[in-house]
Amino acid sequence: MASLKSEDDQARFASVVLPHLADAYALARWLTGNRADAEDVVQEACLRAFRGIAGFAGVNARAWLLTIVRHAAYTWLGKNRSAALLVVDDLESIAQQQATGPGPAGEGPQTPEAALIAKADARLLETAIAELPVPFRETLVLRDVRGLDYREIAEVTKVPIGTVMSRLARARRRLMERLATDEAKGG
Amino acid sequence: MTPSTDPRLLVHAYVDGELDPAHALEVERQLAGDPALAAERERIEALRRAIAQQLPRESAPPGLARRVEAALGLRAARTVSHPSWRALAASVAVAAFLCSGATWLALSPGAGDADMIVANHMRALMAPRPIDVESSDRHTVKPWFNGRIPEAPRVIDLSSEGFPLVGGRIDVVARTPVPTLVYRYRQHLISLSALPLGRAAAMPPEQIAGYNIVSWTENGLAYWAVSDLAAADLNAFAKAFRDAGPG
Repeated sequence: MASLKSEDDQARFASVVLPHLADAYALARWLTGNRADAEDVVQEACLRAFRGIAGFAGVNARAWLLTIVRHAAYTWLGKNRSAALLVVDDLESIAQQQATGPGPAGEGPQTPEAALIAKADARLLETAIAELPVPFRETLVLRDVRGLDYREIAEVTKVPIGTVMSRLARARRRLMERLATDEAKGG
Repeated sequence: MTPSTDPRLLVHAYVDGELDPAHALEVERQLAGDPALAAERERIEALRRAIAQQLPRESAPPGLARRVEAALGLRAARTVSHPSWRALAASVAVAAFLCSGATWLALSPGAGDADMIVANHMRALMAPRPIDVESSDRHTVKPWFNGRIPEAPRVIDLSSEGFPLVGGRIDVVARTPVPTLVYRYRQHLISLSALPLGRAAAMPPEQIAGYNIVSWTENGLAYWAVSDLAAADLNAFAKAFRDAGPG
C-alpha cells in the first residue's frame, strides 16, 4: 500500500520523480498519441516508480523514470494498439540497411532543401512524427523534442548507442522525406 | 562512443554534439569535401530547428503532480510547486494576522532566502550563460570576485570528486550581492551561494519547484547548494565541498 511507505520514500519520490513529470508526460503522449491515455500511463508509471523508489541508486533520475514510463506505455500499446508493436523487429533490420544505405545524393527528388524543411508548421511535424514507427518515434522525441543525449536515450530504450544513432538517422530521414512529399502535394 | 564510421550516420552525431574531437574533426573534413554530405547536414539542422520552434518542450499539464500524489496517497503538503489560491490566501491571512509582512518574513527567514536562491538558479539556467566568469580554474574564478564583493568565496576544485567547476557569478539575495559558484555533475548544474551568516535559515525547505536544496554553515557563512540533481547526489556534492578543506 502506498500510504504505508515511509516519510523517506515520500521525500525521495518528490525529489527523484516529480521534477521529471514533464518529460514523463511528453514521452507517454508521443507513444500513446493522446493526452488522456498519456496521463493514465504516467499515473501507472509513477505508481511503479514509487514502489521501486527505495531501489533507485542511479545518478540519472530522468532516465530512470523515463525507462519506467516507456515500460508502462508499451504495456498500454500492447493492450490497445498491438499493431504498433508488431513490426519492431523487422523495422530494426530495415533501419540498419537504410540509414546507411543510399547517400544523400542518391535520395532523389524526395529530399527537400533545408529551406523547405525549415518552413514545416507544427501540425505537419506533429503528424509526421506521430506516423513514425514506435522505435524511431521514441528515439527522435527523446532527442529532438526533449533534448536527451545519446547515452540517456540508450539507457531509456535499452539499446546500444550505435542503435540510437541509426534509429535517429532513420527517423530524421523519414521526416525529411515526408516533409518533401507534403510540400509537393500542397504546392 | 562511435561504433560506426559511416559519415552519413556520423553527421547526425556531429550535429548533436556527440562526437569526440577526433571524430568531429574527421566529419568536418568530409563535410568540406562532400557537398551532398554538407547539404544533408543543413537539412538535419533545419529539421532540428523546425522541431525546436514548432514543438517546444511542453511542461506537464497543470495539476498532474497533485493528481499523481493523490493517487499514491501521499501528503498533499508535498505539492508545493504550484501553490493554489487557497494556500496563497492562507499566507496572506497569516501575514495579516501578524499585522505586518515584515513580521511574517522575520518568522521564516529560511523560506525567503531559499526562494531567492532557487530563483537565482532558475534565472541563471535561462540566461545565455549561467555564469559571469567561465573557468574550471579556481585561480581564475577566485580573483574575479575580488573587487566585486567584499570577500571572495572559498573556491575549490572538485573535479576529482566528479563535480568540475564551471565558473562563478554574483547573485543578489535580499539586496545583498553574494558569490555563487557553479559546478557541474553530468548534465546538471549546481549553484552554490555563500551568504553572510545571521541570515542563516533555521529550517530551510529541502525542495522548491522541483529543485533540491542543501544548506549548511561553515566559517561564518551560510552555504546554499541548489540543483535539479537527485537529493542524494546533491548531498554528496555538499559533503565533498565541506570535506575539501580550505580553498
